[in-house]
Amino acid sequence: MVSEDRSSPVVCVNLWYDVGSRHEPAGQTGFAHLFEHLMFEGSVHVKKTEHMRLVQGNGGSLNATTNPDRTNYFETMPSEHLELALWLEADRMGGLVPALTQETLDNQREVVKNERRQRYDNVPYGDAWLRLLELLYPEGHPYHHATIGSMEDLNAASLDTFKAFHQQYYAPNNCVLTVVGDAGPDEVKRLAEKYFGELAPVPDIPPAPAGHIAGPATTPVRETVTAAVPASRIYLSHRTHPFGTKGYDAITLLATILGNGRGSRLYQRLADGKRIAQPDYIGSYGVDLAHAPAPLIVTATTKDGVDVAELEDGLSEVIGSLVTEPVTDEELGRAKAMLTTAWWRSMSTVGGRADTLGRYATQFGDPATVAYRLPQWLAITADDVTEAAAYALKPESRVTLTYVPEGKEGKDA
Amino acid sequence: MTLVANRPAAGAARPYAFPEIRRVSVAGGTVIAAHLPGQLLASSLLMLDAGAAHESAGREGTATVLAKSLEEGTKTRDSAAYALALEGLGAELSASVDWDSFRVSVPAPVPLLLDAVRLAAEAARTPRLDPEDVTRVRDDEVTALRMDWAQPGPRADAALRADLFGAGDRYGRPLHGDPTSVAAVTVDDVAAYHDSWLLKPGVLLIAGDLDTLDLTALGEAAFAGTTGAGATAEGPLAWETRAQRRVILVDRPGSVQSTLRIGHRAPERATPDYVPMTLAATVLGGAFTSRLNHLIREVRGYSYGIRGSYAMTRRFGRFEVAAGVQTAVTVPAITDTIGEIARTQLDGVTEEELAVARSWRAGQLSVEMQTPGAIVGALSTLVLHGLPDEYYATLRREYLEATVEQVSAAAAAHLHPKGLTLVVEGDAAVIRDELVAAGIGELVDAEI
Repeated sequence: MVSEDRSSPVVCVNLWYDVGSRHEPAGQTGFAHLFEHLMFEGSVHVKKTEHMRLVQGNGGSLNATTNPDRTNYFETMPSEHLELALWLEADRMGGLVPALTQETLDNQREVVKNERRQRYDNVPYGDAWLRLLELLYPEGHPYHHATIGSMEDLNAASLDTFKAFHQQYYAPNNCVLTVVGDAGPDEVKRLAEKYFGELAPVPDIPPAPAGHIAGPATTPVRETVTAAVPASRIYLSHRTHPFGTKGYDAITLLATILGNGRGSRLYQRLADGKRIAQPDYIGSYGVDLAHAPAPLIVTATTKDGVDVAELEDGLSEVIGSLVTEPVTDEELGRAKAMLTTAWWRSMSTVGGRADTLGRYATQFGDPATVAYRLPQWLAITADDVTEAAAYALKPESRVTLTYVPEGKEGKDA
Repeated sequence: MTLVANRPAAGAARPYAFPEIRRVSVAGGTVIAAHLPGQLLASSLLMLDAGAAHESAGREGTATVLAKSLEEGTKTRDSAAYALALEGLGAELSASVDWDSFRVSVPAPVPLLLDAVRLAAEAARTPRLDPEDVTRVRDDEVTALRMDWAQPGPRADAALRADLFGAGDRYGRPLHGDPTSVAAVTVDDVAAYHDSWLLKPGVLLIAGDLDTLDLTALGEAAFAGTTGAGATAEGPLAWETRAQRRVILVDRPGSVQSTLRIGHRAPERATPDYVPMTLAATVLGGAFTSRLNHLIREVRGYSYGIRGSYAMTRRFGRFEVAAGVQTAVTVPAITDTIGEIARTQLDGVTEEELAVARSWRAGQLSVEMQTPGAIVGALSTLVLHGLPDEYYATLRREYLEATVEQVSAAAAAHLHPKGLTLVVEGDAAVIRDELVAAGIGELVDAEI
């Protein structure tokens, strides 16, 4: 896909590979993410560490991310280096395996373990997302395990197992290439043919295990963690609808009305209002996963001297109000205005536009559907929000994860 | 093999240009604007000469409490009505404080920017500052700081700052204060800070489609009811290089990583060595392929990442390396880090490394300056440091023309491996003995 924009001499090259942690079989958790690391460590014509040096050394910014649904790679370059970026991406799509050594694998396993320590283990509440996934999705569901994966799985696997993983999924027929910025369609098509055109497709790429699951759960689940945290915090979560559906659009509006900004119900009623929640740590958001009903997460942290049970009651009451107190025109208008700004902000860089186009092409088979998202948000009515709340946010479908500071179990937190 | 073996050469570079800058003087203030034709979003930033350096001793955090109090209602509407009015435009206010300035910024869709700036000015110029609200915001800020200080990093940052600048100096205390100093802030402190510093016109920075935006109207909205001139800029702080290293241990029991903050003082932003210093730091610890990241992350596997850089404000500068490393390899990671700093200071940089640093820094000027928010930030640098409109084009050229000799000379002059302060925030019970035995420098325990 090409989206030409000559306003600035920069170009973004973005690749979405349709492989994420949902594709990982038992015993191979963390593979998709480890590959995100290995992809920077050299390929047939690119020496170890040369990828970074060539992108940064030509003025570019780059990164890659992995989530349950997919893995993406992207670099924004001064536009005279478009061809270099395409060459680098093609070389690591088609030529990673011969260059992958045991030493590189061992080193990047260590880096990933450090990433886990830094992001999840060494930070208060850092493992909330890992715990929520296990509570939201049953054992065996592709979203049950976290993308960072199990360090035991990573340790146990051989070099050949990793090579096989790459050969299975890193194929031109499992990838969407998007170029946005200072480049035209003819030029990009010619270069894409030149660098990717001869790469062989991989036949019969196995689909991810089915993510079919009822939307909301039917039994509540609760977990309480006692840990070195500075204050009690609650995460309430529900499975809702998959990203990309009308139901999820309503959830997106709902999350904004409920918990995004100072005008939201949670802020107005619990941070302001009752003043039982810390104003900097209250909110709600959806996690935009497309291959099963996606989570809505509501979180709040107690103010000093507030009992965590009182905060939970307050959260339940505000969530319940979405069904019993109709959303006002003002609330709906506020949410739509905020989502409009957020949408255009994400479109204001070539990188943001490229990633969004890649998402819509990969997940919905048609990049043109990107044009419908904002209008579809703006078409959501107050009744749609009430209906979404009644469907997805019932107390019996709720996951409740509570963190309590050490030494405060059973007491006011 | 079906891959193309030869790395392609670069195409013809298109010329780099910073957006056209326009200036309007109106209502006692100045509007400085960058033209971004066709952008649907615009960004505004009211920059006031009210940085945290103006705070009183023991009350550090006053400006931050004020910033957070601005949205607690204005003279004409309460906080709920204010939030609805602003968010109804799709806008969110961001009020922040740094060492040199107080910033109130609002991004909004172009047709709504004027209304958003009116609301931002209403909050900045005529906040309600009800004593009960200010007290609550102050208490919430104390709690928020405690939350933040429970993360790895802020305590180490505070220990390094106190050591480099002196715990008795404002610059030796955390930018946003600490839980104790914020708890001491009074309602009167906050009101006095507002009256002293937020009623001067300041400068309004705009990035957006100037064919549509009315700069005069925006300036009138931002500067209405203001008087006076900014404070006289004070000169750089005096300092000298140290001859000994010192190690400061901040205990974080059970920590699975040691958080490293390693640094020393450096010249302020106006230094003529700004460009070669920036490039030297890029080679040492800025780029992904930097000496530090290559050795500590890629070769040793000690860390998820390590960075080194100079940070410079109007009155001071400092060099700092920051990383989180596995607890078990704390000492070897520190030894390697000092080794790379010393090697860079002694031997300078190579042409191959500098080539990466030059192109990266130059390229980032266009790659990272795409959004209205980024452009407004770039304008604020011009204003803060008195730089000319053509500064970014000049900077780009200076990056690209810097020589190995210039950058190596900057590394030699502005890196001090023997005068480093090394703050280690980690599990003292596990790492203390080894740190002492390593003989890196005199070890003291931080009381933070």
